[in-house]
Amino acid sequence: MSIKLSSSVPTDREVVLGILNNSEEALNKLYLGYYPMVLQFILNNNGDEDDAKDVYQEAIIVLYNKIKSGNFELSSKLKTYLYSVSRRIWLKKLTQMSKKTQNIADFEDVLVVDEDIETHEQKDMQFDKMKVALQSLGEPCKTIIEDFYIHNLSMHDICEKFGYTNTDNAKTQKYKCLQRLKKLFFQS
Amino acid sequence: MRNEIELEAIIEDYLKGKLTADEQKAFEQLRANDPVVDHKVVAHKVFLESMQQYADILLLKEQMDAAHQHIDVAALSAQVKPHPSRIVRIWRNNKSAIAVAASFLILAMIMLYSIQSQKKQVGDMQLLAGKVSDIKGSQDIIVRTINGDNRRKSTDATPAKFGGTGFAISSNGYILTSYHVINGKGSIYVQNSKGVTYKVVRYYTDPVNDIAILKISDDAFTNLGSLPYSIKKGVARIGDAVYTLGYPKDDVVLGDGYVSSRTGLNGDTIAYQVAIPVNPGNSGGPLLDNNGNIVGVINGKENKTEGAAFAVKSKYIMEALNAIPQDSLSKRVAYGKRSSLQGLKRNQQVQKMQDYVFNIKVY
Repeated sequence: MSIKLSSSVPTDREVVLGILNNSEEALNKLYLGYYPMVLQFILNNNGDEDDAKDVYQEAIIVLYNKIKSGNFELSSKLKTYLYSVSRRIWLKKLTQMSKKTQNIADFEDVLVVDEDIETHEQKDMQFDKMKVALQSLGEPCKTIIEDFYIHNLSMHDICEKFGYTNTDNAKTQKYKCLQRLKKLFFQS
Repeated sequence: MRNEIELEAIIEDYLKGKLTADEQKAFEQLRANDPVVDHKVVAHKVFLESMQQYADILLLKEQMDAAHQHIDVAALSAQVKPHPSRIVRIWRNNKSAIAVAASFLILAMIMLYSIQSQKKQVGDMQLLAGKVSDIKGSQDIIVRTINGDNRRKSTDATPAKFGGTGFAISSNGYILTSYHVINGKGSIYVQNSKGVTYKVVRYYTDPVNDIAILKISDDAFTNLGSLPYSIKKGVARIGDAVYTLGYPKDDVVLGDGYVSSRTGLNGDTIAYQVAIPVNPGNSGGPLLDNNGNIVGVINGKENKTEGAAFAVKSKYIMEALNAIPQDSLSKRVAYGKRSSLQGLKRNQQVQKMQDYVFNIKVY
């Protein structure tokens, strides 16, 4: 149906196991394997390359979360799943931009993935909340928190990096930052 | 303040499972007794989970962005973007549907075509009355001159315009041939295998079935004796071996073949199609099966197919015979009876037959 897109595609099992094992290589293969398919879909349905990238990455996050949550079953091909999720996401975006969503040109079979999309949207909201909270936290709090919770630096490292005279000072600083962040996160 | 920080640190260590068994037990005791502490634990748990997810997704996005760097987006877009031409776009999006439709169409056309060609023979029928002037018959005439046949008419000196074949249907000189052989004006003569020529007159014509009956009106003519063949009752079957005697040249020629179809040109039910080599001059010749029964009268061939000749069915010979006064025919040809040729070999049949097959010449 669609033009044959030449890129090596990993097997579905390979991808699922790879993601469960946090393998960056598996993710890379997955990403490269199906991007052309989504690009073709978006380009043929009122979108550009950037839209394709956003939609595709979101679809992979959906898949990623589903696999990580442990209740993922290979009931369909990953290709079909990713296509269906991308399609659903793009249709929602088109509606939000009040562009026409009639006459969607399809290139693959489509699954119903509404439930997964809803779960994803809730998680996405959390993500955005955290992002906004972190941004409004300001420096140096943002970096301290990120270093500690995301980059997994020890308090000792942070102490050195920010030039605190001792670890306790750093801990106090981090505590204050954390309290503010929590406030921002839970109240938003 | 210090206590708060310590508490926060303990909660975090507790949630991350870093406490020793004793510490954990003590803390759980504290948590059970103090709702404020418990609330803090729950809140921190939610927060840590959110933070973990945030970190995961952030990492995932970083990795994806890195992967994205490897893709030549521009080249790929050029390959998959909608083609500027609407037609190409429709083609791409509906390739399979179009393919199905097209193959269906082609199939339908092939079927239609084959049905049509089954029904209709493309070629036309070519009548086989020979233009004798085109055929080199002069040598035979010379031979006959040398023989000094005294019954030959003076008109024989000029070559005949048309020629065909005929065969006797009675002993007293009634000869059946194709209508198109004697069609038109001009005097008609018949010549037997010995080269003796008699004048004949048109006696009966049936243009629809392409049959004519001539009568020898020549004083020199004597009785032919009883006819060796009979006319076949019923129809010949496809594959029946048949042969014909005729005069495509000035001497009798045997043609051998088989019935190839129950119908003639374009499904014409009057005639059979016969796979037999015939040439101009064969028209009017008898078509006999191996038992010496006349199954038809050769009257034409397909001009585009080699070896497809046509012969009017014997049924129409009988119609013609029945159309003329019966008392005028003496010892007429038998119908549906056993012919005296039955059981004879082909060469013997021909030997007996040839005296009753005439070369018809129209001047």
